[in-house]
Amino acid sequence: MENTKHQLQVVYGDGSLGVLSDRVKYLFSYERGGLESLTIDGKEWLYRVPKPLFWRATTDNDRGNHFSEKSAMWLGADLFSACDEIAVAIDGQPIELPIAPVNNQYSNHETADSVAITFTYLTPTVPQTKVEINYQVTADGRLQLTANYHGQAGLPQLPAFGIKLVMPTPAVSFKYQGLSGETYPDRMDGANAGNYQTVGMPVTPYLVPQECGMHMQTDSLTVNRRATLNNADADAQEFSLMINQNGNPFAFSCLPYTAEELENATHHEELPAKRRTVLSILGAVRGVGGIDSWGADVEPQFQLAADQDYSVSVEIGPQV
Amino acid sequence: MIPSIEWLDDPEIFSQGTVPAHSDHHYYKTAQEVQQGNSFEQSLNGTWQFHFAPTPQVRLTDFFDSQFDPTQMDEIQVPQHIELAGYAQIKYINTLYSWEGKEYRRPVGTESYSPENSSPFATSEMNCVGQYRKQFDLDQSLQGQRIKVRFDGVQTAMYVWVNGHFVGYSEDSFTPAEFDITQWVQAQHNVIAVEVFKYSTASYLEDQDFFRFFGIFRDVTLLAEPAVHLADLSLVPTVSDDFTQGDLAIQMKLTGESAQLRTSTIRVTIADSANNQLLTQTMAAEERTTPEPLHFDEVTLWSNQHPTLYHFQAEIIDATGSVIEVIPYQFGFRKIEIKNNVVILNGQRLIISGVNRHEWNCQTGRVISEQDMRADLKTFDELNINAVRTCHYPDQDLWYDLCDQHGTYVMAENNLETHGSWQKMGAVEPSYNVPGSVPEWRGAVMARAQNNYEMLKNHASILFWSLGNESFAGENIAQMNAYYKTMDPNRLTHYEGVFRDPAYRGRISDVESRMYATPAEIAEYLENNPDKPYLNCEYMHSMGNSVGGMKSYDDLIQKYSSYQGGFIWDFVDQALLVKDEITGQQVMRYGGDFDDRHSDYEFSGDGLLFADRQPKPATQEVKYFYGKY
Repeated sequence: MENTKHQLQVVYGDGSLGVLSDRVKYLFSYERGGLESLTIDGKEWLYRVPKPLFWRATTDNDRGNHFSEKSAMWLGADLFSACDEIAVAIDGQPIELPIAPVNNQYSNHETADSVAITFTYLTPTVPQTKVEINYQVTADGRLQLTANYHGQAGLPQLPAFGIKLVMPTPAVSFKYQGLSGETYPDRMDGANAGNYQTVGMPVTPYLVPQECGMHMQTDSLTVNRRATLNNADADAQEFSLMINQNGNPFAFSCLPYTAEELENATHHEELPAKRRTVLSILGAVRGVGGIDSWGADVEPQFQLAADQDYSVSVEIGPQV
Repeated sequence: MIPSIEWLDDPEIFSQGTVPAHSDHHYYKTAQEVQQGNSFEQSLNGTWQFHFAPTPQVRLTDFFDSQFDPTQMDEIQVPQHIELAGYAQIKYINTLYSWEGKEYRRPVGTESYSPENSSPFATSEMNCVGQYRKQFDLDQSLQGQRIKVRFDGVQTAMYVWVNGHFVGYSEDSFTPAEFDITQWVQAQHNVIAVEVFKYSTASYLEDQDFFRFFGIFRDVTLLAEPAVHLADLSLVPTVSDDFTQGDLAIQMKLTGESAQLRTSTIRVTIADSANNQLLTQTMAAEERTTPEPLHFDEVTLWSNQHPTLYHFQAEIIDATGSVIEVIPYQFGFRKIEIKNNVVILNGQRLIISGVNRHEWNCQTGRVISEQDMRADLKTFDELNINAVRTCHYPDQDLWYDLCDQHGTYVMAENNLETHGSWQKMGAVEPSYNVPGSVPEWRGAVMARAQNNYEMLKNHASILFWSLGNESFAGENIAQMNAYYKTMDPNRLTHYEGVFRDPAYRGRISDVESRMYATPAEIAEYLENNPDKPYLNCEYMHSMGNSVGGMKSYDDLIQKYSSYQGGFIWDFVDQALLVKDEITGQQVMRYGGDFDDRHSDYEFSGDGLLFADRQPKPATQEVKYFYGKY
C-alpha cells in the first residue's frame, strides 16, 4: 500500500510488531526479544536480533593482567542476556503490549508518526543489571537506536558496552568519518580525523586472534554489502546502510567474527569462513594498555567501572 | 691442540685457537676493489655436507678426516638454522632454560652445583649436534698468503678442523670467530669440518627470549692477508668543548713478517663527507702505529638529523712502493656525555625515540639479509625512530655501518642473558645466578665484552655499550662495566639488571635503566634526587593489540630533563611463516606450535611490525609521539 501521508504503517501482529515505511521496513519480535528484521528496499540487514555487547576478545595485555578472568561474567552476559520486558509507544504514548488478544482491536490500516519499542535485557551476572535497547522509528522511516547500561556496584569492570548487529552476509567495504587506523581510547593521539574507506573486513593479524579493528570517535559509517541470503534475489548491486551519530560520536568495529569466535581461535587459520558482518556499535571501550603484558592494567581513566552508566545512540537508515 | 668434548661443560673454556677480537674494518687489495669485488675474500656460504646427530653419543667421530667418505652425509645450506632445515625440533621459550623439566643441572661454581647433580652437556640426551663438511679450493687470488677463516655467527659451541687438523673452538654465538689456518690449508682439495653443539655452558649466557636455534647462521668467509696487514684499527674522534673543532686519534695494529713490516709505510688520508680530501700523511709502519692525533679546525657533527661521516683511508705500501692493502672506514664526530644528570649529545639533551630490535625474518629466523636491514631503517624513518638497542646480542656488522650512515643511535649490547638463572615464574630467585660473582664465569663474560667492544669500537652510531640483558648483577658484570669505561671513556655504559641488586649501583651503568616501569614509578625516581639520568631500555610492550597509554611516557619528556626516553619492546614479531598442515596456506606460527614444551607460546609476538614486517596499527601512535622530537 502506498503511504501517501508519509506516515508509518503499523502492523500489530501476534508475535511481532511490523513498522513499515516506503523503503525501510522493521519487524520487532516479541519472541526473539528485539529487532528481527530491518529491510531497506527489500534487502535484509539483520541475521539475528541485536543484543547488548559486553565482551571483547581477550587481548594479550588482558590475558597478562587477568582482566578476562576477573571480568568473565561479561562473557556470559554477551552471550546470554535475556529479554525480560518489552514496552511499546505509539506517537509518544505508551500502549499495552499489543499481543493477543489485545491486538484484536487493530486493523490493516493502522498508521503512526512515530513508533518506539524498548527491550529490556537482564544480564546473567551476579548481581544482575539491566540494559535497555530502545528503537524509535520516525515517520520518514529512519531509526534512532539507543542502548543504556545501568551501572551496578559489585560487578567487575566491563570490557566494552554497546550493541552488536549481525548481518546475514559479509560487507564488501565500509566507509566512515572518524579517525584513521585502529584506535582505542588510550591509543588515538596519533590518529587523524577524516573520511576513510576500508575494503572487506580486515581482521588485524595479531599472532593470536584478539580484539581488533576498533574505530573511536566516529560521526558516520556506511556499510556496503552485495549479497543477500534471499534465494529470489539475484541482484548483485551493492547496497548500503548508514549509521550516524546521534548526539555523541560512537565507536565501532566491522568484522566478520563475533568476539567469541575470535576468543576461541589460537591462530587465524582456525577462524571460520567469513560469512557474516558483525557490526559492533559502542558507547564505551576499554583501553588496550601497553605498560607490559603480564600484569600492568590499562591506565585508570581508560578502564570501565561497572557501577557507572553507559550509553550509545545512533541514527540508522538508507544512505542519503 | 687436542679437542675435548669436556670443553662443553667448562665455563672457563670458551675459545681455543681464535684470532683476538679486532675492529670490523674491511680491507682490500686495491682502491678499485673497495668499490667492487674483494679478491682477499672467498665466501664459503652455500651447500655443505651435513650430518645431524640427535645426541653427542651418536655423532660421527671421524667426519673431519680428509679420508672420510662423505657420501653418507646429507646436504644443508649455510647460513641456516638447523631447526629450519628440518633436523631438530623448533623451540621457543622465554626465561626458563631450554632444558626445563627435561634435564636437571646447575651452573658450575654456584652453590647448588655438583658434578653429581648436573647433567653434563657432553652426554646430554638433548644436546643435538650438527656436523658440517665442505671441500674447497682456494681462489687464485687467495693462494700463497696467510689465510684465515671467519665465522660471523655460529650457535652455540663449535669445533673446527681443516684437512683433518683441529683448528679451534669457539662460543659467543653472535660475534665473529676467526681462525688462522695458514699452516694447514693448501691451494686445492681442502676440507673444512665444523661440529656445532646446541648446548654448552655458553647456553647459560644465551638465555635470550627467542627461538632456540643452533647451527651456522651467519656468513663463513675465507680471508687472505697480504704480507703486512692491518689487524686492528682504532679511530677515536673527539670534539672540542664548543663543538666546532675535532681531533682524531688513530691506532693501527699491524701484523706481518718483521722485515717486511719495517720496510713498509702507511699512508693515511682523510676526506670529508663529500669526499674532498682534507689531509694525507705517510708514516712508518710499526706493529703499533700511533700517529699524533689529527686536528680539524672545523668539523661537522654526526647526529640523527645530520649523519655526517668522514672518510678514513689507510694504504699499506711495501718497500717497492706498491700499495698492498687498502682500508677504508667511515667515522663521525660527536660527543655523548652526562652533564647535570642529563645525557647530552652534541650539547643537546638526548631524547631516545627508540626500539629494541632482534634480528628476525619470518622465513629464515635470525638469518637476515641486507634487504631486511634496509627495510628496517626505512621503517625507522617512517615511524620517526631514532635509536635502536641491539637486543640482546651484537648484530651482523653491516647493521652498524648502516646505522652510522643513517644516523641511528645504537645501544650496542653484549651477547649476554642469564634470565633463567635468577628469575623463576616471575619471582626474583638468584640462588644460582651466573655470571654473578662466580669466578668460573668471569672469563667468558669478559671475553664477550671484549668481542663486542673490539669489533664495534669505531662506529659513530654507538652511544651506549650495554653489558647485557636480564642477568642480575654481581662482581663479574661490574668488571665488564669497568672494562668498557677503561677502554672507552667517550661512550656511556648501560645495564638494567643492577636495578635488581642496588649494591652494585655505583659500579654498574652510567644511566638508571629500567624496563616496563610505569610512568608513576619513573616520576617517583625523577622526583627524588636522582643520581643518574633515566632511560627505559624496554617499554611499551607491543604484544598483540597494545601500545596504549604512550602519552603518559611522552609527558615525562616534557616534565623531567633527566628523562631520556627509551626503547619500545620490540620491533618485529618473532613468528615463523610455515605451511598449514590442514589447508596448505602459509600461516604464522609461534612457540608451542611445533609440539615444543615447555613453551612461552605467543610471547615472542611483541613487535611494532608483524613478523612479515607489515606495520601493526599501533605504529601510527608511535609515529606521532616519536615525531614530536
